[in-house]
Amino acid sequence: MLGVAVTAVVLAACGSSGNGPVTVNWYVFPEPSGSFAKAAAGCSSASGGKYKISINFLSNASDQQRQTLVQRLAAGDPSIDILAMDVDWTAEFASAGWIRPWTGANAAAVSKGVLPGPLKTATYNGRLWAAPINSNTELLWYRKDLVPNPPKTWDQMINDSIKLAKEGKPHYIEEQGSKYEGLVVWFNSLVNSAGGGIVGPGNKVIVGPSAKIAAQIMKRLATSPAADPGLNTSEEGPGNNVFDAGQAAFEINYPFVWSGTQSTAPSIFKHMGYAPFPGVVPGMAPKVSIGGYNLGVSSHSTHPQLAFDAVKCLIGPQNQVTDAVKGGLAPVLASIYDEPAFEKSYPFHQLIKNQLENYGIRPQTSAYQDVTLAIQDTLQPASAIDPNTIVSKLANEIETALKGDSLL
Amino acid sequence: MSSGAIAEPAAAPAPSRRPRLSDRTKAERKLAFYLVAPAAIVMIAVTAYPIIDTIILSLQRASLDRPGKNTFIGLDNFGYVFKAHLFWMDLIHTAVITVVSVSFEFALGMLLALAMHRVIFARGLLRSIALVPYAIVAVVAAYAWQYSWSLDNGGWIPRLLGLSGDPLSHQFGTYVAIIMTEIWKNTPYMALLLLAGLSLVPDELLEAAKLDGASAWQRFIKITVPLMKPAILVALLFRTLDAFRIFDVIYIFSQGANNSASLSQLSYSTLLERLNLGLGSAVSVVLFLIVGLIAVVFIKGFGAAANPAADAH
Amino acid sequence: MSVKARQRSGWSLAFIVVVVVSLVPVFWLLMLSLKTPASATDGSFIPHHWTLDNYRDIFTQSVFTSALRNSIGIGLISTALAVLLASSAAYAIARLDFPGKQTILAVALMVTLFPQVSLVGPLYNLWRQIGLFNTWPGLIIPYLTFALPLAIYVLSTFFREIPWELEQAAQIDGATPFQAFTKVIAPLAMPGLATTFIIVFLICWNDFVFAISLTATNAAMTVPAAIAQFPGVSQFTQPIGDIAAAAIVVTVPVMVLVLLFQRRIVAGLTAGAVKG
Repeated sequence: MLGVAVTAVVLAACGSSGNGPVTVNWYVFPEPSGSFAKAAAGCSSASGGKYKISINFLSNASDQQRQTLVQRLAAGDPSIDILAMDVDWTAEFASAGWIRPWTGANAAAVSKGVLPGPLKTATYNGRLWAAPINSNTELLWYRKDLVPNPPKTWDQMINDSIKLAKEGKPHYIEEQGSKYEGLVVWFNSLVNSAGGGIVGPGNKVIVGPSAKIAAQIMKRLATSPAADPGLNTSEEGPGNNVFDAGQAAFEINYPFVWSGTQSTAPSIFKHMGYAPFPGVVPGMAPKVSIGGYNLGVSSHSTHPQLAFDAVKCLIGPQNQVTDAVKGGLAPVLASIYDEPAFEKSYPFHQLIKNQLENYGIRPQTSAYQDVTLAIQDTLQPASAIDPNTIVSKLANEIETALKGDSLL
Repeated sequence: MSSGAIAEPAAAPAPSRRPRLSDRTKAERKLAFYLVAPAAIVMIAVTAYPIIDTIILSLQRASLDRPGKNTFIGLDNFGYVFKAHLFWMDLIHTAVITVVSVSFEFALGMLLALAMHRVIFARGLLRSIALVPYAIVAVVAAYAWQYSWSLDNGGWIPRLLGLSGDPLSHQFGTYVAIIMTEIWKNTPYMALLLLAGLSLVPDELLEAAKLDGASAWQRFIKITVPLMKPAILVALLFRTLDAFRIFDVIYIFSQGANNSASLSQLSYSTLLERLNLGLGSAVSVVLFLIVGLIAVVFIKGFGAAANPAADAH
Repeated sequence: MSVKARQRSGWSLAFIVVVVVSLVPVFWLLMLSLKTPASATDGSFIPHHWTLDNYRDIFTQSVFTSALRNSIGIGLISTALAVLLASSAAYAIARLDFPGKQTILAVALMVTLFPQVSLVGPLYNLWRQIGLFNTWPGLIIPYLTFALPLAIYVLSTFFREIPWELEQAAQIDGATPFQAFTKVIAPLAMPGLATTFIIVFLICWNDFVFAISLTATNAAMTVPAAIAQFPGVSQFTQPIGDIAAAAIVVTVPVMVLVLLFQRRIVAGLTAGAVKG
C-alpha cells in the first residue's frame, strides 16, 4: 500500500519535473481571420504536450516586419523560434546565418507536394531554408460590364482602357506604382514574362532587352489615360479602393480583393471578373512574381527540433485549407487546388495554380534589400522612365547595390 | 644678528603664496571633482564609445548581415557618400526644411512671446495651451498632422483647401506638411526662449521711447530686439541644430519616401534598415561634422553680439 | 475704441488664434479615436458613428499596456538618475570654484549638439553584443546621457539663485550642518529640482529614435515606438483608430502635467536659456 503511494508520488514528481510543454514562439504578420491562431492551437494540442506554439503578431507592413525580425535576429535574441519570412528574404536571412537549413527527413516532409514556385522561393544556393506556408500571385480583375473579353496582353489592356476613356466610361488600370516593393513585383513580373531576368546565379546582373520591354510597358501605362492620377502612390489597398468606387475598369492585384470587394462594394462585385495576369509577348504565358510567406527556424532558437516539428504541423494540408478558405491565403500544396471547399471560395484557383507552376521570381540574392531599393529608385515615378537608357541605368545601379557601395 | 638674517625671513612668504594652493581651495577642488565626476563620466563614456566606434566603422566595409567580414577601406565610404546623388538631395532637403521652419518659428515665436508677455487675462491658461505642442510626444504630433493632411486617411486639410489630389503623394505637399508640423511643434519652445529675453527689456526704456514719439515698430526694432540679442542667439542656435537633426516627423510621415528624407533619416535607414554599417557610419560622421560646423559658424558669427551671456559663467 | 481697448482686443484675438492652432490637431486625433474603423477615413470632423472600441482594443492588446509600463518605468528611473547626478554636478558648478568648470559645461553642450541618430548604430551594435538590446538599462543609459546636459544647465541656474548664506546663518543659530541643509536649503532647492524633473521626464517620454532602434518587444518598447508599429487589421490597411486612441491616451496626462506645472516649466526653460 505504502509502496504504491510512494511510487505514485515519485511518478507524479517525475512528470511535473518535465516542466510541461515547451513554448515555441512563432512570429508572423497579423493574420486577421484567425486561421493561423487556430492552426497554432491545433498543433499545440496535437503535439501531445511536447510543445505549445505561442503566436506573436508583427506589424502588418512587410518592411516593418523585416525590420523587427532583423534587429532581434542580429542581436541573437533566443526568444524567436519560428519566423514567417516574406519570400524575398530567404537569401538574405540564409547568408546572414540567422535561419537554420532544412535537411533530410524534415526537408522532404515540407517539400512534398509543394508547387514549384513557392518551393523555389524557400531555396537558396541549392539548400532548403524554410517551409512554404502560403503563396500569392497577382491576377487581372476587370469589369465584365465594360469589357466583355478580358485582354490577353498589357498592350491590349492599355488599348482597351484608352478606348473606354474615349467613351467617357470608367477606365483606370489600377497597378502598384508607389516607391515600394510592389513596384518591383510589377517590374519583375513584366521582365520574367518577356523571357528575361534581373539578377542571375552568382549575383550576376543579367538586365537586358526584356527589361527595356518591361520599362516601355510601365511608361506607356503611366503616361496614357489608363493611368490613375494617384499611380505614384498607389499600393494594393488604395488601388482596390478605387476599383470598389467604380472608377477603374482593370485592376492588377492579389486575390484578397475578391472577398474584399464582395463585402465592401457588392454592386461592383456583381460585374467583377477575373483573368490571368496579362502577358507581355503575345502567345507566351506570363510569369508573375510570386509572393507569400515561408516559415523559417531561427538559428538562435533554444529548441530547434521542436520548432521544426511545429512548422511541419503548421503547414499541414488541413491547416492550409483553413488558411485558404477562411484567411484568403493561397495554399502551396498542389493537392489542395482540387479540394471542393477550396474551389468554392476560390473560383479562380486554376489561374493561381497555373501561375505558381509557371512562375516568375524576384532576384534571389543576399543583397536583395539593396537591389530592390536600387530598382525602385530607377523606376519611380513610372512616367519618367526613359526606355532608351533604362537598361544601362538599371545595370549600373544594381551592380553598385550588389557591392554595397550605394546610398539608397 | 647681521642684517642678512633679518632680510631672509621677510623674503620667504611672498613668492610661495601664488603657486601653492590653500588647503581650503584644495579641499574645495577635491569635493567638486567628486561631485562632478559621476555626471561627467556618464556623459563622456556613453558618447565617446559610439563616436569612436562610428569613426572606425566609417573606415570599413561592414554589414550586419555579413558578420565578421569587415574589411578596412580607408576613406572610400566617404567617397561613395559624397558621390551619391541621394546624399546631396537629402542635404538640400534638410537644409531647406531647417531654414524655412526655423524662420517661421522665429517670427511666430516672437509674436507668441510678445503675446505671452503682454496678455494679462488668463495668462496661465494661454501659456499652458501654447505649451501643448511642445509637450506632446513628437510621434503623436506627426500622426495628428499626417492624418490631417492625408486624403487617403480622410484628412480635413485637403478638403478645406479644395485639393483634389492627395498632397502627401507629391514631394512639395509632403514638404509643406512636414514643415508645418515642425513649426507647430517647436514654436512654443522658441517662444519660451525668446520670452526669457523679452523679460529682460526694461519697461522704462520703452515708456521713455513712447513719450519721445517712437512708434511700436520702431520701439521694437531699436530697443527690444537689440537688448534681446543673447536670447535670440541661443534660441536660433538651439532650434537650428535641432531642426537639422529632424527625424521623428519625417519617419512617421513618409519613412523618407517621395524623396523627403533628411540626413538623419538617411543615416538611420542605411545603418539599421539596410544594415550597411560602413556607409551608414560615414553618413553619421558627415552629419556630425555639419552640425558642428553650424554651431561654430553661429557662435563665431553672431557670438560677438552675445558677449553679455558669456559673462554669466 | 480707445487705444488700450483696441490693443486688448488685438491680443485677445491672438489668444484665440493660439488656442485654436495649438489644439486643432489634438482635437482631430480625439475625433479619429472615436470613429468606427469603417468610417475612419470618411473625412468628417465629428464622427457619424461613435465608438469606444478603439480604446478597448488598445488596452486589451498587451502591446500598448506594456509600452505604457515601459515608458513610465524607464522615464521615471532615467529622470531620477539624471536629476541625482545633475544635482551633484550643478551644486559643484554653482557653489564651488574649480578648474574645468568651463570644460564640463562645454562637454555638456557638445553632448546636446550630437545627432542622436549617429549614436544608434554603434549603440545597437554594442548592446546586442553585451545583451542590453531590448532591456530597460539599454534605454536608460542613453536617456540619462542626453538628459544630463539640460538638467545640469537648469539646475545650476536654479542653484545659483539660492541664498547659501542662510545655511551658514542656520548653523550659527545652532543647527547641525545636516539640519541646516535639509531644513533650509532643501526646501529652497525643491522648485528647481521639481522643474528639472518634469522637463527631463518629458524628454525621455518623447524619445523615438532610441526606442525604435534599441528595443523590439513588450519587454522594453516604449509608447512612441509601439504606436509606430501597431499591428493593423489586415495586411494592407493602417490601424488609424487604434493609433489615434493610443495617441490620445499618451497625450492627456502630458497635457494635464503642462496645465498644472506651466509656471515651473516656463521658469525652467527660460532660466536655462538666459544663462546659456
